[in-house]
This record gives sequence, structure tokens and C-alpha cells, in this order.
Amino acid sequence: MKEFDDFNFSVEKYTKDLTRECVGGSDLQQRKKEIEAYNETTAATLKQTCKKNYMEFIQTAKEISHLESEMYQLSHILIEQRNILATMTDGKTSSHLKAESLEAESSTAAEEVENSHATRAVKEMVQGFNGNLEGKTFLNEGALIELDGNDYRPIQRVFFFLFNDVLIVCKVKHDKRLDFLTEYDPKKIAVINIKDLDGVKNAINIITPDGSKIYQSITAAGKTEWIEKLEEAFRFDQQKKPKKGQAPQPPTRAKQQSKSTTPEKETTPQSPGEPKSLEDETPEWLSTASEEIQTLVAQRHFEDAQELIKRTQDFMRNESRKKVPLADAIESKMKQQELKLINVLLKELSNSHNRNLQIALRAAKRPLKILVEMGRYRQASATLLKVCAVSLRVAQREARRNNADISELFFCDLTQVACDFLTAFEQQPACVSALVVWCNAELQYFASQLIKHYLTKGTSLESVAKCVERVRKPSTKLTEIGLDISYHLEGLLRTTLESLIEESKERLLDSVGRTEESWQPYNLQTKSNLKRLLLELDVLGIDVRAQATGDTWINLTQSTVVFIRHFLQLTEYCGCLAKCETLLQSLELLLKELFIAQHSLKPPSDMAVDPNFVMKNKIFLVDNLLPIAIDKFRQISGRQCEGLRELHTKMSRQQGAPLPRQRSVYTTDVF
Amino acid sequence: MSKKPTAGPALHKVIMVGSGGVGKSALTLQFMYDEFVEDYEPTKADSYRKKVVLDGEEVQIDILDTAGQEDYAAIRDNYFRSGEGFLCVFSITDDESFQATQEFREQILRVKNDESIPFLLVGNKCDLNDKRKVPLSECQLRAQQWAVPYVETSAKTRENVDKVFFDLMREIRSRKTEDSKATSGRAKDRCKKRRLKCTLL
Repeated sequence: MKEFDDFNFSVEKYTKDLTRECVGGSDLQQRKKEIEAYNETTAATLKQTCKKNYMEFIQTAKEISHLESEMYQLSHILIEQRNILATMTDGKTSSHLKAESLEAESSTAAEEVENSHATRAVKEMVQGFNGNLEGKTFLNEGALIELDGNDYRPIQRVFFFLFNDVLIVCKVKHDKRLDFLTEYDPKKIAVINIKDLDGVKNAINIITPDGSKIYQSITAAGKTEWIEKLEEAFRFDQQKKPKKGQAPQPPTRAKQQSKSTTPEKETTPQSPGEPKSLEDETPEWLSTASEEIQTLVAQRHFEDAQELIKRTQDFMRNESRKKVPLADAIESKMKQQELKLINVLLKELSNSHNRNLQIALRAAKRPLKILVEMGRYRQASATLLKVCAVSLRVAQREARRNNADISELFFCDLTQVACDFLTAFEQQPACVSALVVWCNAELQYFASQLIKHYLTKGTSLESVAKCVERVRKPSTKLTEIGLDISYHLEGLLRTTLESLIEESKERLLDSVGRTEESWQPYNLQTKSNLKRLLLELDVLGIDVRAQATGDTWINLTQSTVVFIRHFLQLTEYCGCLAKCETLLQSLELLLKELFIAQHSLKPPSDMAVDPNFVMKNKIFLVDNLLPIAIDKFRQISGRQCEGLRELHTKMSRQQGAPLPRQRSVYTTDVF
Repeated sequence: MSKKPTAGPALHKVIMVGSGGVGKSALTLQFMYDEFVEDYEPTKADSYRKKVVLDGEEVQIDILDTAGQEDYAAIRDNYFRSGEGFLCVFSITDDESFQATQEFREQILRVKNDESIPFLLVGNKCDLNDKRKVPLSECQLRAQQWAVPYVETSAKTRENVDKVFFDLMREIRSRKTEDSKATSGRAKDRCKKRRLKCTLL
């Protein structure tokens, strides 16, 4: 039966061939039956294939619609997010103003901006919408999903623009373009909050002249907002009229006028003794003062606001109060305004923190000044110090990361804060104690940072000395402004430093005598080496030229020379650290024990050495090195190193006695 | 891809009407969730849907809980249009709410243009019988005039709550079967009826 599938199959030819092939009618009948059977099976397979394809098609379609609805949801979420971002960036500058006082002027201005914004958006984005939007008030916009009324499946993504008298419904196309679908009069639609609908969340039902529609919002908040806004649109005309009456009252020009006039012009008619004011119950500025303050605060004219409050209070305090019938009400209102202003200022103040302390302090200056004038010392000082603490710590962290000198920075910053603080709260001695407490806390933090990052275990005495030196120097400078914190700082660092000294002592003692000692004079090999060594020791304050012999020799052992250099360096560091009395003892001990260790070094018994040479090294240590070290220590630290002096007297006395004997030994050896 | 509406259970749309504070939402919530909500928060327009078994047959009830407050009066038309049956609720402790039912009835008839629309007069708060302001006889008289059933309920004690919803659903159901059975002849009949009423009003 293959030939049926042939492209060139021709019925005539096939029948001819068939008749030619077949013998007799019965054969032909047989052939006919076969062909019919084939026909049937083909039809069946065709049907089957068709069905299979159809099923596949349905399956795919289902999948597509499923994915489509998911896409709706996704892009809906994205739009929502974009809106949030937009409002955040838009509202950033004005948000706190708005929050603080919903003062009519700014809101009308914002409304206007929003109106034009939305109108433009509709014009630009919506295809096929030609309605006029001039003069309409924009209320809300947003994406929603239209659901099927029967099975609540998403049908399409829509975007609503709601104005006071029109609701524009657009279809969101796949390329994010909006296609105008229809518009409704908000007064002719009814909104139903769907509370329970087979698990469909956040849906609203809008009954429109062309039927009831279900729209779904992504968030519950979005749904409530739509319900509210749609109702607002529904009642817009009843509501807006009285509102409109109020709104024009305080806008820009009125405020500027009053701002300039209030201080000068209005004080004159208010002067007591003027006959008019006797009958006049409430001066005009007083009755509007509360609103005026709100405006001023919102415009961030804090000084003016404060002045107005003060003026009102002054006015209330003197006798003219009796002429004002609503004095109590005004007073309480004023109190509220005052509190509000204070809160705003405190917030402002706490927001002024910055990485850079200078900037933070500068930003804090203005609210600080007003708060001080309003008598809010305590709150202001506490907030200021909090702000400073943040800046200080951030700056320190940054400096540490950049390997900058944190001590200098810390004390400079501290000084700066203290100076600014003292000038700001000059008249308030009570606040100074707050400053002291704060300084203390910061100092503790600083010390803990120092210990954590710079005075870790195993730090060499040299770096410890440098670090401590860096801390001490600026800390003493603080006394210039009457703040002495060095003692406290020493106390904070003391235990750490002591343990560090102890640790270095052990390390140093351990290293003494580790070097292989040949007990031979030190050969520096070249003249220049010798010269360099001599110079180096000169710098450290000891002259060993007397010991130099020949061109390259020093008549001391190598370890003695190394020790001399090392010991003098250590003396320097210890001297630095010993500037504070508390550490003196442990430092002395360190030097002393180290010296004794070196001094008591003995050549091993099996080594043939010149005992006189050994003695010579020791004598040099006691007679030359020790006095120089003592002197050096005193010079640097400003304190006597009693321990070393005792050691010196003791050792020179010891030396006195055995010396001749040694010599006699030597002579006997020679002879 | 075919979006054939799945032939699910029959849907009966019930609308709660009545003055503010008579207990429409309380009745609805009691029916929906078996709970009595004490705190009063004026409703705007909430809708609920629930599957229930009505005389052995599974049906869906869609309840639209409307605002009783006067300031929503203008928007009511829009809601009423979608209703198939109405529970007109008043509080037996508040005569004004009882008087207001007259107005609701008229508005419904005007919107639906159908005198025999499924409708129940419901006197709520019958647990507060000691504070009753509307005599039972008066209620029954009004129900008679309108030719509708009168039921007293209590959302608090759940008395007759299910009854009013199920009674109304039954009426709606019978109206629907009547309508679907009614071939052109009968439909014409009703058209006539309607036209008559229009002229009356």
C-alpha cells in the first residue's frame, strides 16, 4: 500500500495497474476490501494524531496562561516597587515636612505637582485616550489585576488612573505600554470590598455601568487605599468645597507677607495703652500664630517659629492677657506647637550626624542654638553628644582602616566636641557634667579600641611606647580647655600595659645569652662598619671609641656591643612609658633584670677565655653603660630610676673588691 | 484554552440593607464565621462568599453587606442592581431604623423594578427584648402589607440567623427556577406586571 503515500500517486494509473494485475472478479474484490481496510485504519490514526495534538495544544495553552498570570503578578509587583521607589525619592526631601504638619499650603502645592505629573503620565503613557484632564484632581494610580468573575482567574493586568471625576482604566500590554480601555465616572460606580471569596486575597469588586468587575491588588494596603480613594472620588464634590475654601488662606504670598510684617508692623499696634486694643479682644497675629508657627516649622524657619512662640508667650504673660477671651486655648495650642517644634529640632539635631565631625557639628549648630534658647538644655545636650559619639566612632574606625593615627584624631575630635559643647552650653554648668560623663564613656571606648587593635599580645615595647606616646601627648593638651583625662586614660590602659611589659621582659630575658658568645673582641671586618657602629652608638648616647682598637676591632665582645645598643634603645622606650608613674616599677624591674642577666653571663667552663676580657666587658657594662642608661631614663621620663641606681652602686662596689683579685689571677697566669 | 465558565454550584446574591448600626454586619459575620463581633465599625461595602448546602444541594451564597449610613444613600442604587434577594434589617430597639425600612423597600423596588423580588424583613437584636421599641404587631403588619416574611433574629445568640439566609436563598432559588421554566409567555406576563408598576410609580 506504499504507493498511496507516493507524491506522484495517480488514481487512474493505480486502478489500471490493479485491474491488469488482478485475475478475475474475486481477486479484485479482495483488493478492494484491503484498500477499504487501509482507509479505515488511516482514518483512525489520523483521528488519534489529531486528538493527541489537540491535547498537547490544550496542555501548552494551559501552561501559557498559567505563566501569563504569573507574569502579570511579577510585573505588578515590579510596578508596585517602582512606585514605592518613586515616592521615596520624590518624598525624600518633603517627607518629614509632610509628616510633621499637614499644613495646607504644601499639600496643595504637592497636589498641583501631582496633578500635572499624573496628567502628563496619562498623556504620555496611555494610548488611545483623548479625554481632557485639565483642572482635575489626581487621586491615585496603580496597577491591578482584573479577575474573572466566575473562576477568579487573572484575565489581564490593568492600570488605573483615578481623578476626581474620572477613573481611567488601561490595559497593561506586554511591552509595558498602557492601552486605554475605558473610563468611568466615579459617581456611577460602586466599590465593594471583597472580604471573603474562596481565598482570593485583596480583591475589590467594582460595579460599573457595564457590569461588575473584580480587581485584585497585590497588597492589602493597596486594596484599602483604592477603596478609600475611590470613595474620596465618589464624594469629591461634597467634600472638596469646604476644603477649597480653607486652602487659599495660607499660601505663599500670605506667608511671606506675614513673615516680613509680623516682627515690625504688628508690634506697634500691640503696644499697651493704645485705646484700640482695649476693645480688641484678640490681636490678629495671635489668633493665627499657631498656624503660622506650623507653616514656619514646615518651611524650616525654625528661628522665626521660635520667636513667634516666645512673643506669644510674652504676650500671654503680661496683663494684656485678660483682654484675650480664648487665652487658655491659645496658650495650650502654643504649648503644643512649642513641643512640636522641640521635637522637630531634636529630630533635626539627631539627624545631623555625619561621618565628618566638623560637618556634624556645623549641622547641629542651628537646632542646638534654638533649643538652648528655648531652655531645652538637657535634651539638646544629650542628643548632641549622641550624635557626636556616632561621628567620633565612625571616624576612628575609618582612620584605623586607613592606618592613620587614631589617637590624634580622637583627641582632636574630643577637643572639638568639648569646645563646641562648652560654647553652646556656656550658661549651663549642669550640662558640663553630661559632657564629662560622655568624655569618660568615649574614652573608655577609645581605650578598648586601642587595646583591641594596637596593644595586642606580643606587641614589641617599641611600638607600645610609640602608641602610648601618641596617646599621651594629645591627651595632656585637653587640659588646656580644662579637661584632664590623662589620669583616667592611664588607668584604663594600665593593666594592659603592665601585662605587655611583663611579657616583653620575659621575652627579652629569654633572648639574653641565646647568641653564641666567643668571648673575643668584636671584629667588624671593615673600617666603615666600625665607623657606622660608633656613630650609631653615639646617637644612643654612648661613646665606645675608647674601646676601638686597630682599624676594625672593638675591644668588647660582640654580644656586649649588641646589648649596649639594645639596652639603650629599651631605656628610651621604657623612659617614654615611665612618664606615667604607675608603670615605673615594672619598667625599672625590666631594665634591671635584663641588665643583671647580661651582666651575669659567664663563658662556659670548658671554654678557654681570657677572664680579664670577661671582666672588662662586665666593668664596661657597669661603669659606662649603666650611668648613661640611668641618665637617659631620667631625661626622657623625668623620673629617677631608683632601681638602676641601686644596681649601679651595688655592682660597682662588688667590682671594687674582686677586681684586684682578678688581676692577681691574671698576673699569676702570665707569670 | 477555552474559558468555559465552569458549571459550579448555583450562586445566590444576597444583599443586606438597613440603617446604620442595626447589625447587618453582625448577622453576616455570624452566618459566615459563627462569631459575634462586638465592636462596631461602620461598613462601606463588603462582600462575602460561602459554599452552603441548601436542601441537599450545594450552592454558593454571595452576601453584600452594605453601608447603612445615610451618606451612602446615593451609591446604593449601584449595589442593589446586582442583588437577587434582600434582607432588610432593622433593630427592634430602634424605631427609626424600623421606619427607615420603608425607604429601603421603595428604593429596592425602584431599582429592581420587581414587586416580587425575594425579600425578608428582619428584626434584629431580639435578645434585647426588654429594650424593644418596635412592637411585634407593627412589624408583622408591615410585612403583611409588603407580602414578605418577617423574622426576628439575634446576631448575638445566633437565633434565626441561618434561617433568614436559608429562607431567602430558597426564595431566590425558586424564583430562578420559575424564571428559567417560564417560557416567553410567562416572561411576557411579568413584563406586563412590571409595566403596570411603572405606571403606578
